[in-house]
Amino acid sequence: MTFKLSRLLSFSVLALFVGFAATANAGGGKAIFDAKKCGGCHQTKGPAKEKTIKDMLKKKGPELWYVGSKLQEEFLKGWLQDPKPIRPMAFYSLTKKNPGDHPKLSAKDAGEVTEYLMSLKSKDVKAGAIKPKKNIKGKLVFKKKQGCYGCHLSKKGKKITGGMTGPTLVGASKRLNPDWIYAYMTNPKVFKPVKDMPVYVGVLNDTDMKNVSEYVSNLP
Amino acid sequence: MDKKFIYAAALLVFSFTVVISGYSAALADVKENYRFYCSQCHGLEGKGDGPNATKSQPVSPRNHTDPKEMGKLTDEDIINVITGGGKATSKSTMMPPFGKTLTEKEIAELKDHLRGLCKCKGP
Repeated sequence: MTFKLSRLLSFSVLALFVGFAATANAGGGKAIFDAKKCGGCHQTKGPAKEKTIKDMLKKKGPELWYVGSKLQEEFLKGWLQDPKPIRPMAFYSLTKKNPGDHPKLSAKDAGEVTEYLMSLKSKDVKAGAIKPKKNIKGKLVFKKKQGCYGCHLSKKGKKITGGMTGPTLVGASKRLNPDWIYAYMTNPKVFKPVKDMPVYVGVLNDTDMKNVSEYVSNLP
Repeated sequence: MDKKFIYAAALLVFSFTVVISGYSAALADVKENYRFYCSQCHGLEGKGDGPNATKSQPVSPRNHTDPKEMGKLTDEDIINVITGGGKATSKSTMMPPFGKTLTEKEIAELKDHLRGLCKCKGP
C-alpha cells in the first residue's frame, strides 16, 4: 500500500515536472519568436481574418496559427536551423523568386521555437484520418484529372517537375501532416478564406480527397 | 425652374459618379482576380508567361493577348473553361476549375477582361 502510494506520488511529481518543462520550453520558444520579431511576417493568432485578395497580398509570410497541425515536428526543427525555400516564388509574388533568406536559428533556439510552434494547433484537423501510401487513384487525380503539378513541384523519377507558385510538394512526406492535407482539401476556408489555389470542395468527392491526401503525404 | 434644373444636374452628376465608381470597382476586382488566380500561369499581362509556365510542363498556358487563338473561343467556352477547368472543354487539365472559387459574376467579368486583352470577339 505504502509502496503504491509512493509510486503514485513519484509519477505525479514526474508528470508535473514534464508538464512544467514543456510549458517552460513553449514559453521560451515564444520569447525567442517575439525577440526575433518573427511576428512581423507570420501571423500566430487564429482564426483567419483575411477577407480579400488585398489582405492576402499584404502578408509577408505564411500564417502560423495552425502550423502545429500542418507540419511535422522533426521537419520544422531542422528547417529552422537550415531554412530552404518551400515556395519557389517569393510569398505571393509572380515576379520574384524566393531569395531563400529566412533567418537561421541555432539548434537550441530551433528546438524551443519548434516546441512553441507545434503548440499552435487547429481543432479542424482530425488526427488519424489519413495514412500516407502509394495511392494510384490519388496519383491519377493529381496528375491527370486535376493538373496539381501545374502549380506544385514534385518528383518525376529523379527529375523535379511542375509549376512555381504553389509550395513544393517535393519531400511532402517528411514535411506535412497527412491529416492537415485532408483538412485543407475538405475545409480550406478555415485555414485560408482567400487563396490562389482553387477550392476543390464540390469538385472532388470525399474519396478523391482522401486518395489525393494519401498520395501527397507519401511524396518523396 | 432654376431649382429644378439644379436638382436635375445634381442627380445627373450623382448618377454618373455612381456608375463610374461602380465601374472602377468592378474593374479593380476583375484585375485583382486576374492577377491573383490567372497570372500564376498566364502571366501578369496575359501573354502565357506566368511563373508556372516552366519548361517541364507538358503544355503552355494560353496567350490571352493572341486574337487568333482567343478568337476561336466563344464566350461560353471561356466561361466553361474558367468554371470547370480544361477538362470542361476537352483541353488540358492543367487549367484548374474555378467554379467553386469565383462567383458567376466574377467569371463573367473575367471573360470580358480576356476579351479586352485579346481585343477580339468569339465566333
